[in-house]
Amino acid sequence: MSSVAGGMAYFIPAAQTALEATGQVIHVTPSPSMLFSPTPSATSPVSTVTGAFTVLLLGSDDDSKFSSDHVLTQSMILIRVIPSTKDVTMLSIPRDLYAHLSTGGYGKIDGAYSYGGPGAAIATVEQDFGVHIDDYIWVGLLGLVKLIDAIGGIDVVTSNPVIDDFYPADIYGGWPYDYERVAVLAGPQHLDGIHAMQYVRSRHGDLQSDFGRSQRQQHVLMAIRQKAKQMTPEDLPAMSAAIGRELKTSIGLPKVAQLLPLAASFDNPDQIRQIVLLPPYTHGGGPDGSITPDWNRILPLVHQYFP
Amino acid sequence: MMISRFVLAVVLAVVMFVCGTSAYLYLGSKQSKAAVPAQKPTAATPRAQALSLPGTIYLAQSGALYSLSAGRFHQLTPEAGWTMPALYPDGSKLVAVKATRSYSDVYVLNRFGTVQRQVTNNAARPRFDISDNHWSFYPRLSADGGTLWMAYDQPKYGYDAIFSIWSMPFGGTLRQGRLWTNANDYTGGDMQPVPVPGGLIYTKYDYGPDIKLVGQLWFTNRAGSAGKALTSPAEDCHSPALSPDGTQLAMICTYEKQISYLTIATWNGSSLGGRKTVVSNLLVAQPTWAPDGSGIAFLAPAVGAGEFQLWWLPKAAYMPPPPSPPPPPTPGGPHNGPLASPSPPPPVPPVKPVQVTTNNGFDATSPLAWLG
Repeated sequence: MSSVAGGMAYFIPAAQTALEATGQVIHVTPSPSMLFSPTPSATSPVSTVTGAFTVLLLGSDDDSKFSSDHVLTQSMILIRVIPSTKDVTMLSIPRDLYAHLSTGGYGKIDGAYSYGGPGAAIATVEQDFGVHIDDYIWVGLLGLVKLIDAIGGIDVVTSNPVIDDFYPADIYGGWPYDYERVAVLAGPQHLDGIHAMQYVRSRHGDLQSDFGRSQRQQHVLMAIRQKAKQMTPEDLPAMSAAIGRELKTSIGLPKVAQLLPLAASFDNPDQIRQIVLLPPYTHGGGPDGSITPDWNRILPLVHQYFP
Repeated sequence: MMISRFVLAVVLAVVMFVCGTSAYLYLGSKQSKAAVPAQKPTAATPRAQALSLPGTIYLAQSGALYSLSAGRFHQLTPEAGWTMPALYPDGSKLVAVKATRSYSDVYVLNRFGTVQRQVTNNAARPRFDISDNHWSFYPRLSADGGTLWMAYDQPKYGYDAIFSIWSMPFGGTLRQGRLWTNANDYTGGDMQPVPVPGGLIYTKYDYGPDIKLVGQLWFTNRAGSAGKALTSPAEDCHSPALSPDGTQLAMICTYEKQISYLTIATWNGSSLGGRKTVVSNLLVAQPTWAPDGSGIAFLAPAVGAGEFQLWWLPKAAYMPPPPSPPPPPTPGGPHNGPLASPSPPPPVPPVKPVQVTTNNGFDATSPLAWLG
């Protein structure tokens, strides 16, 4: 009995974080138009393939520039998983995409979370892209750094030198509007949390700006998945202590337990499809520096992979 | 009776404490090794390495330079941003980069890691804008030792900070330097200059036909000219390394994916011949030829994912010995008996890369320097 108690004590931090971070209730914010033309809601799962599910991954800059839970989502990745065929599709949604927000009006899609939390972000993506989202995962920037450090860093093939003379120094610096120089060199390398974040976050030196950044974010996601395969359940307390309150998800604990072995079984990178909405799916010149979507091209593409 | 109950309670309490603590510690000991920090290379010495490579290899880990000689590592510099060692042509000294958070400079060090002089001065003056700092990376000396080649982030325009290949008199200053290549805007630029007889091979980053950023090897023989491409955008190659006899080029090709192939090709002084992939199951970085031509050292994680270790690929893996000649005809005139059926040559076991280190974490963006 005392051994069991010792074991329970070991996993208490992980259990505490898991209980706090998982099973978040989604308060979906429907837009006025959704009231008249309802799309599938988060409470009525629709999947044409048995067992398939779709998750919206959100990443936010949550430094002191923003008040808690009113942050922009710098990263929005729609992920569809088909466990039976082990197919994964990742669709990066440009943060500056000019879209109809579920909270009303039009604006950059990264503002949806800021106005209405994860429910508004989910509702916006569901109504604009015509997809059903089962769950969401939100990670703060510092959480990403700590998560990568907690798993011992990741191996990434960086596609090109990422040089930025105006990179935001808002994570550890005293002044959140300050900036610094970063240089992430090209090629295969082992990145710690800070350098991985620099790689995925920098956009000044990339002609494709947010699109290039989306591709890099997908590289890092796959590297985290690869590294996570080496972890054991005994690593959970250290990982949960590192992440702290930088992670929230609507996925409940029982489903997390189901997904962990599933994630480890995806070992064929060719079955992970990566989609970035480059031109002609989008083009620049929208209001306030936003990106204008070509829905006539986007929707058929999305419906092909997110039926 | 009371005493015995008391003793029993104490014993039980101790047993419970020991069992609980043991379970806690046991679970802690079962953590994966994935997050264990890399060991300093010198922590392995004086334990002899399983494999002793010829000569001395210089490499970087956690901002310090190390040498590996006769199976032992020696730390040459403190952990202070040191990376990218390269040898003088006569092997007498090193040039290396020392990087801070905002700029990096090239220094000359003796082979024991003592700084001899600072070659570049890339720090912005006080009160200047942070973008007035500069980076110098991948220093290489010409065969006569008179010219220093490097990747340098000048010119840059606003947000477009890119590297170009520069040369400068090794005894002079950067003001006497020459811009050799015109990097493409918003790509990262041109990197990894490797002086070769008759010119320079370097890596140019650019947008491929599918608008993805890719690396390509180029050869140029005069300043101001990009020269000609040696590899295609689809191959996505970088990190060129010329063999000691100058006839082969090793490189890393990633084919726009999160993979990395060690590829070699023949080199005739101006173009590459057919490619041969010699390692495809590891995340290979920084191939470096042994000065005696006995193989190629490189960096790669041990299994799956992890910190980068030193590996060794013997020459037999990519240049197998020629097949043995057929036995000479038996003297003594025409053969009258039954012909012996030709027996196939005995199978030659494939030569695999050898992992030299196990718990280190070498800087995979830092080329190795190898003194024979």
